[in-house]
This record gives sequence, C-alpha cells and structure tokens, in this order.
Amino acid sequence: MKNFQLKKITFVVFFAMAVSIIVTFIGCASSQKIAMKSGAQLWAENCQRCHNTPSPSTFSAEQWKTVGMHMQSRALLTDTERDKIVAFLQQ
Amino acid sequence: MKRKFLLLLSLITVSMLATKLKAQQVVVDSSLLDRINALETQVHDQKPGEDHVMIVGLTTFGFASHRSKTDGVITKSNSIVDGDNYEFSPMLLWRHGTKFLMEFEPSFAGDQLGVNWADVSYYAAPGLILRAGYLVLPFGTYSKRLGAGWINKLATDPEGVADLPPLSDYGIEAEGGFQAGTMKWNYDFAIANGMQLNPDGTIQNAGIAPTNNNKNICGRIGWLPFPNSSLELGISGMTGKLGDPGTPFEKARSSMYAADINLIENVGMVQLNMKGQYDVIDINQKDYINPADGSNYSFTNHTTTGYVMAAVRPVKSSNNFVKNLELAARYGNYTTPTNSLIGMKDNSFAVGLNYWISWRTVVHFTYESIKSTSTIGQSLGGNPGSITNNNSLYLQFSIQL
Repeated sequence: MKNFQLKKITFVVFFAMAVSIIVTFIGCASSQKIAMKSGAQLWAENCQRCHNTPSPSTFSAEQWKTVGMHMQSRALLTDTERDKIVAFLQQ
Repeated sequence: MKRKFLLLLSLITVSMLATKLKAQQVVVDSSLLDRINALETQVHDQKPGEDHVMIVGLTTFGFASHRSKTDGVITKSNSIVDGDNYEFSPMLLWRHGTKFLMEFEPSFAGDQLGVNWADVSYYAAPGLILRAGYLVLPFGTYSKRLGAGWINKLATDPEGVADLPPLSDYGIEAEGGFQAGTMKWNYDFAIANGMQLNPDGTIQNAGIAPTNNNKNICGRIGWLPFPNSSLELGISGMTGKLGDPGTPFEKARSSMYAADINLIENVGMVQLNMKGQYDVIDINQKDYINPADGSNYSFTNHTTTGYVMAAVRPVKSSNNFVKNLELAARYGNYTTPTNSLIGMKDNSFAVGLNYWISWRTVVHFTYESIKSTSTIGQSLGGNPGSITNNNSLYLQFSIQL
C-alpha cells in the first residue's frame, strides 16, 4: 500500500515536471518567435487594434519618441514593442 | 601679318580671362568649403536636449438632422457643425528624456470647455508606468482608447458607455503590459478621489471636494491570447464610497463591473473589426429624496449599459476609392434604474458608411435610431411605458492633427 502511494506521488510529481518542461519549452520557443518580430510587423499588429496604422512620414524622429510613450500608455504595449515600433516609424 | 597679330591677341585675351575665371572659381570653392565647415561644426555642437514638446489634437464637426416622436407628437431639428457632437481638443505632449511624459488635453465639446486629462507619467521600469494627476480612469476600453472621433467608426458614441461611470478623476495610477509566452497581458489600476451620490440617486462625478477618506479603487486586466494581438478581452471593476460622513448616504457604496472585447482580423479581402463593452453599475442605497417636492422615494439603483460594434473595410481591394470605404454597425442598450426620476430603457441601432481620406481623417455618414421606453414611476409624475423614437442622420468630418 505504502509503495503504491509512493509510486502515485512519484508519478504525479514526474507528470507535473514533464508538463512544466513541455510548457516552458513551448513558451520559450514561441517567445523566440515573438522576439524575432520586426518593428513593421508589431506596428501592423498593434496600432490597428484601435485605429488605422499611422504613416511613418506623419511625425519627425523626435516626435515619434514622444508619440510612442503616449501610445504605450494607451494601448499598454510592452517596452520592446514600443521601442521596435518607434524605431520602424523613425526610418 | 595683321591676321596673325589678331589671333595672338585673341589667344592672350582668352588665356587671361580663363586664368581670372579659374582664380574666381577657387575663391568660390574656398568660401563654400568654409561655410560647410562652419555648418559641420554647428551640427557637431548641436545638442539634442532632453525635452521635447509637441501639440497634436483632434476636431470633429458636421451636419446632423434629428426627428423625434413621442406619443404621436413629432419634433424635428437640425444642427450645422452638429453642435451635439462637435469637439475641438488640442493635446499637449511634453516629454522629459525617456522617463517622464506630461499630457494635457483641454476640450471644447458639448458647448462646454473642459479638460479630458492633465497628468504626468513616469516610465519606472519595463512593464510599469506610474501616473498622477487628473487622469482617465481604467474602466472598459471605450473612454480611454476608442472614443475619439477619428477612431470611432460611427458619428455618435454608444449611449451610457461613453458617459458612465466617470471618465476622469484626480488620482494615481499604475499600468503596464508584458509578454507571457505567446500571450500578452496588461493591467491598469488607479486610486481616485471618487464620486458623490446626489439626493435624487444620480451620481455626481465632477467638481467634488473629497469629503471622506475612502477612495475610489478601479482597475482593468486585459488578455491578448493570440500571438498576433488580434483579440483582446478585458474585465474591469470599480468601487468606492459615495456619501459624506454624518449624512443618510454615509454607507452608500458603488460597485461597478465591465467586460470588453476587441477583435481585428483580416478575412479574405476585408478587414473585420469588432468591439464591445458591457457595464453594470450598482449602488447599495435605496432611499432618496425627490427634488421636486422633497418627499422620500425608493428604487433599486441598478444601471446597465453596453454596445457591440462591427465594421468591415475592403483593405485588399486594388481600387483606392473602394479600399478607403468602411461599413459599420452598432447595437446599444442603456437601462437606467426603474422607478427612478431618470428611469428609461434605450435600445439603439446605428449604421454608417465611412470614407477614410487618410489614416487619421474620416468622413462619417451615420444613421442612428434610438427607441426609448420610460420607466419613471407614476408616483413621480412619469408615464411608464411611454415610448420615444429618435432618428438621426449625421454627416461628420473628423481629423486628428
């Protein structure tokens, strides 16, 4: 009986560890894909959540920095997203 | 001999002129180089500075025609520049380095000059922005993200959602977004001075001096489950005491909840845009005072409001005119407390055709129909069940600058 309980606990622990490793692996792999996203792709995906995608010619490089900070707080972008989108719009 | 002499003279003259021109050319080049060097020095010495100020803003104007019918009585009106929905809102953005941003947006709208927000933000760390001042409260997404005329897909705001609960208040706020694997999460929490309950049961949310130590706590959590950020789901909550100490409303408290959805997806040739929000507002106080005669009356102070909007735009059309067209429709519901002085049940439907002149300039052509059923109690002088049909047509121009 005791052995059976130990086996059961061991199985649960190993199963939980396996799930954690798989989830972590999938998460990391996906995160790498997301980390590879360009500023242009993030601009297309995030700006249009609320409004049309802005033309890079609308503002100067310095103005885009300011607008980027304003929009980060409105759309709650991550810092990486903001920096990449601003860099794309500054070109 | 004479011909040779003339030829020699000509050669000497041409040679002298060429020498003189060459000398002048050298002088010009030298001057130009000096100027270039001076400019290069100026550019090199130029400091970009830490501060940057810019003014953006928006305006919305147009033409509106209204027709209202109550108990068989028809009234008509129209408004040039659509006074009801006119807005002129310049916005000042003042960035100090990469950590501080001041935002100030005064607004002339609804025949009044007001302030939408006046706050300072500190970008403390990745995923953490701290803010203080007169700020837009985090409740739903409409007031903070979607209400601007050049963003809205229709000429009007959804009833209730755009007005309730209070949009801005004095307070402090913490917000941010972060990646979690393929998903994204965001949060936005604020503590504000809060609202006040009026004797008739309505909420006052402007021009209030803080009269108690209990603050209004509100927040929203957003979840973007897909890697391309095409879907966002959000839930919000807000609670706070509404009454002054020592008054019958001392224990009055508001409890407000909201759920919102935002979906944008390219389907074949068109881009599908869906947005929605549903708010529930409960106030635990039941007994109020009729301002008309000072008598007491009771009602359950429960309000709901919501909308769902869908828009399609043929973004992949090869025809530029067609590509800039957009068709939008919205259904809304706004139900205020039954047997109160403001009791009504509104169902609204709006449909519109938009033409995008640029990414931030749009012409809205919108038709809206609102069926309003009164729920004001007979004891309050109301006529419960009375129906008013409002039909409106808008031609509206909206631009962000």
